Amino acid sequence: MADTRFIIQRNSLIISARANRLRRLAALGGRGILLLITSSSALVILFIFYFIIKDALPFFQLRGLKEFFTSTAWYPSSSPASFGATSIFVGSGLVTLGAILVSVPLGVTAAVCLSDMLPFSLRQLVKPVIEMLAAIPSVAFGFFALVVFAPQLQERGGTILSVAWWMITAPVAFLMLWIVSSVLSSRLPERIRSMGRLGLAAALAAPTFWGIWFVGRSFHALEISSGANALNVSIILGIMALPTIVSVSEDALQSVGGELREGAYALGATRTETMLRIVIPAAKSGICAAIILGIMRAIGETMVVWMASGNAAQIPRPWFNVLEPVRTLTATIAGETGEADHVTGSARYHVLFAMALCLLVISYAFNYVSDRIVRRTSRIGRA
Amino acid sequence: MDLTSRKLVDRSFTGLGWFSILLMAAALVILLAPIVVRGLGAFVFKGTVEHRKLQFEVFGHGRAGAVDAETAEVTEARQPVYDMLAAFEAELESADFASRRKHAGPLRELKDHLRRLLGPLPAEDAPVLMREQYGQTRWDRAQMALNHLLLIETYDYSDPTQMGRKILTPRVEDFKGTSLEPLFAYVEDNASAMLKPRWTLYWRFLFDSSHDAHFFGGIWPELLGTIYLTLGAILFAVPLGVISAIYLVEYTEEGSRLVGLLRTCINTLAGVPSIVYGLFGLAFFINSLHVSQSKSVLAGALTLGILVLPFVIRSAEEAIRAVPQTYKEAALSLGVGKWRAITTVILPAALPGILTGTVISMGRAAGETAPIIFTAAVSVGQPLSFLQTFSEPTPALPWNIYNLCSEHEAVDEIRHVQYGMVFTLVMLVLLLNSGAILLRARITKRMRG
Amino acid sequence: MTVAPTGNMVKPVLSIKSTNALRQPSDGDNQGATHLSIEDFSVFYREFQAVKNVTMVVPSGRVTAIIGPSGCGKSTLLRAMNRMNDLIPGVRTTGRLCYLGVDIYGRECDPVEVRRRIGMVFQRPNPFPKSIFRNIAWAPRINGYRGDISNLVEHALRQAALWDEVKDKLDQSALALSGGQQQRLCIARAIAMQPDVLLMDEPCSALDPIATSHIEDLIDELKKQYTVVLVTHNMQQAARVSDRTAFMYMGELIEIDETRTIFTKPKKQQTEDYITGRFG
Repeated sequence: MADTRFIIQRNSLIISARANRLRRLAALGGRGILLLITSSSALVILFIFYFIIKDALPFFQLRGLKEFFTSTAWYPSSSPASFGATSIFVGSGLVTLGAILVSVPLGVTAAVCLSDMLPFSLRQLVKPVIEMLAAIPSVAFGFFALVVFAPQLQERGGTILSVAWWMITAPVAFLMLWIVSSVLSSRLPERIRSMGRLGLAAALAAPTFWGIWFVGRSFHALEISSGANALNVSIILGIMALPTIVSVSEDALQSVGGELREGAYALGATRTETMLRIVIPAAKSGICAAIILGIMRAIGETMVVWMASGNAAQIPRPWFNVLEPVRTLTATIAGETGEADHVTGSARYHVLFAMALCLLVISYAFNYVSDRIVRRTSRIGRA
Repeated sequence: MDLTSRKLVDRSFTGLGWFSILLMAAALVILLAPIVVRGLGAFVFKGTVEHRKLQFEVFGHGRAGAVDAETAEVTEARQPVYDMLAAFEAELESADFASRRKHAGPLRELKDHLRRLLGPLPAEDAPVLMREQYGQTRWDRAQMALNHLLLIETYDYSDPTQMGRKILTPRVEDFKGTSLEPLFAYVEDNASAMLKPRWTLYWRFLFDSSHDAHFFGGIWPELLGTIYLTLGAILFAVPLGVISAIYLVEYTEEGSRLVGLLRTCINTLAGVPSIVYGLFGLAFFINSLHVSQSKSVLAGALTLGILVLPFVIRSAEEAIRAVPQTYKEAALSLGVGKWRAITTVILPAALPGILTGTVISMGRAAGETAPIIFTAAVSVGQPLSFLQTFSEPTPALPWNIYNLCSEHEAVDEIRHVQYGMVFTLVMLVLLLNSGAILLRARITKRMRG
Repeated sequence: MTVAPTGNMVKPVLSIKSTNALRQPSDGDNQGATHLSIEDFSVFYREFQAVKNVTMVVPSGRVTAIIGPSGCGKSTLLRAMNRMNDLIPGVRTTGRLCYLGVDIYGRECDPVEVRRRIGMVFQRPNPFPKSIFRNIAWAPRINGYRGDISNLVEHALRQAALWDEVKDKLDQSALALSGGQQQRLCIARAIAMQPDVLLMDEPCSALDPIATSHIEDLIDELKKQYTVVLVTHNMQQAARVSDRTAFMYMGELIEIDETRTIFTKPKKQQTEDYITGRFG
């Protein structure tokens, strides 16, 4: 038999103490190198903090904290220069708020629809839509906002706004009327209940729709002086944040699992009641994390706001007037570093790093919160 | 609430869900439609004889004979215009002073418009700027120029509460009763004979370099710059990311403090706004490490590499985690060392996932603008050779889209180039993404046998 | 189902590079000699003791079966024999587990080398997502095999009684094979490394009866050349293919003896209860 064997080179089972030590050393060294590479890619974040802080500190040493955070006078290139960034913070906040208002209701309902309403085949169609929206580069969104959307908004902004107003309020009003009239009419005797409900609905409908029409008309009459304003940017940022919100909340809704849903259905709840009372509360931390991630996307976005927000360092009057141009932290950094670069060392250069530091701190804080939420949820899920 | 109302609420809720999905799809369509339709306009359009002449003279595309023959034909068609002009000028020489003064301004304007439409007038010195050496190369632009030639645009600001009102008057009014009057009718009727518009597929838009600040030619320097930056970023991020993923999955115990720390770092890195990467790249790679004198492809690629690193790590981690534990057991039971088992069994099995993540990261790197503003991008430049990428900055698609649509001197005249660039970039990114999905499907299928 | 040694085999290359080469088991002459000896051996998963102070020997050139109810520690003991438990965090061992007289848990022992000599076949077929050919050629190549690799592959496949079924599709993915074929491929993959001992962890539990009988026939052939340790919860299988049988219960080795003895006149009451089906 022996001659039919193919001998494969064998080493000794026992290795000498020296070889053993060498081997252990090599294994340890290999692990060390791996750890080094891994931590170097993780430590980049510390590098980023270090280099941003290093260049941000001189600004605070030169000018202190008070002016930067409380003044609205942003004249970095005049002399004497002033570096009040309040209006820029407000601008960032305003467009982010606008983006949330656009994307959160849409995104969460879309996620609910995607996870619980659409048939499987349609879901396979919608997923690529979301992936494509997520993949489109931000500069393409910015281009759209500046070249396509802004002129339209400027020319027929009133019409666009009033159509949007009707699209949102009319169905809501109709639904509310139905519910209110049915609740009120439930006291009526059986015979005249349906008649009474119709009458009530009609009576309530008149003032409601008059109110909607009235507001819609005043929207229609609005003249928008520039299409590059906070509204434009908010809408586009909202659309950009949608894919994140939809996919993360959908994951959260999916992870709730079938048993809870079946339990609710078995008790005679409708799908809406199941979703609103059972599933969404169970998935709420995941949805919160999704919203935070969406907010981070909106705050950190540069190109869209730089191209289409109008870049005016002013606080709109009143502060929520989204039809006025604003300026954000990211756009300020993008727009002014090029000019400030050759005056390295001046306050004008370092103030941009101070802004980057604020952005970093904000994004770190949000990241931390969402991380905590996700971690807490997964712990509960496991227990 | 009674059952009917509950059902109605349920229906409306369903409707709301559908509404938001449809709105999202509509947003995608509204966004992509103008980009695709007008972007294709940079590739497929009615090109005039000027386009073919330019292509031949500047880039050497096309046949000499054909271009010459066409030029001869249009010269013949244009000759009456120039004759009329010459005749009118001669007439003006001998006219009285008042008439000369009255016509000098309009005549100059008319000649400007003619130059813009048809190129330099005969018997004039060749202009310095290339945009003045040729007439309109595209029929759509030519028709606009023709409109401007035929109609004078003025604004009426008499009502201060309103924005200015546009008033169009035919230019021919300026020359009523002179020998130049028939010129306008002639130009209007013979415009297509003078320019010979023809449907053209200009696929070289991708590979021609640009001339005279994007008035003519294509987008090759930008495209090449984007390719360099993307490949550089991937070359930097993928090895680092895959090794980190291997370490995190195979060499650490989940739940240890070190892993928690590393993971927090990577998650935070993923959340940093892209503009901060740009500033970091400027402060670190250029001002501290001095990888290059100033902006360079290298610095930009490194910055983009750091940007996509967390995504590469995450996707590689997921892919490696998805490889069945049994592969590893089988490999080890055959007397193969751990590292060997990882490189020859686990990594190949995880390859589809890693590749998918890599290709999607490529799409991200290609589309990012903010990180390259201060580290790599310039507005105008020539295509770089490989060695130059270590020291020279480059134009790149995302940056030049921004630049052309908000800082260019003649934004409106090069809309087709802007749209063409956006179209190219969006298609590049979407192709990479769908390529990744196909790749994943295909390799998974092959693995299943 | 015969293993036909092809005539034109390459000549054996005795390339034992080690300086202090150990006794190589030669075939045939030492039937019944001790191959693995286990002394007072325990395995702990953190606090839980899965294998309790087991002492037994595995003789060379024979099939030893380990039987017992689920969770009795038989798989853990088997996986301990080529240090596969190293993969699971929190595992530690006490006692000695000697292979050819060397404690494989000793500090100076190289676990990779142990696994080269003690092959393993798992419960579920786990071929690599590669072609059939590369599944088998992979490990020898990595371990520096310099001979004719396609001969080696053919030899291993013939030994595993799979050659005739796959010889025309060696380039196809191994995952396209049936479950039984995959399991035989895994056996071929293990014996291509020419191990001394072959550990089999319930190799038929995921297979249908026909595939099971193929594997059982194969084990019968393999014992001519290899020492086989087989874990099974199927007593008929143990009775059919093994020479010696060990019965484990709650982590303890209750009894080990010739298979015939265990199944006909076991010494311990627990063994008898298990075999006659009173529990398990």
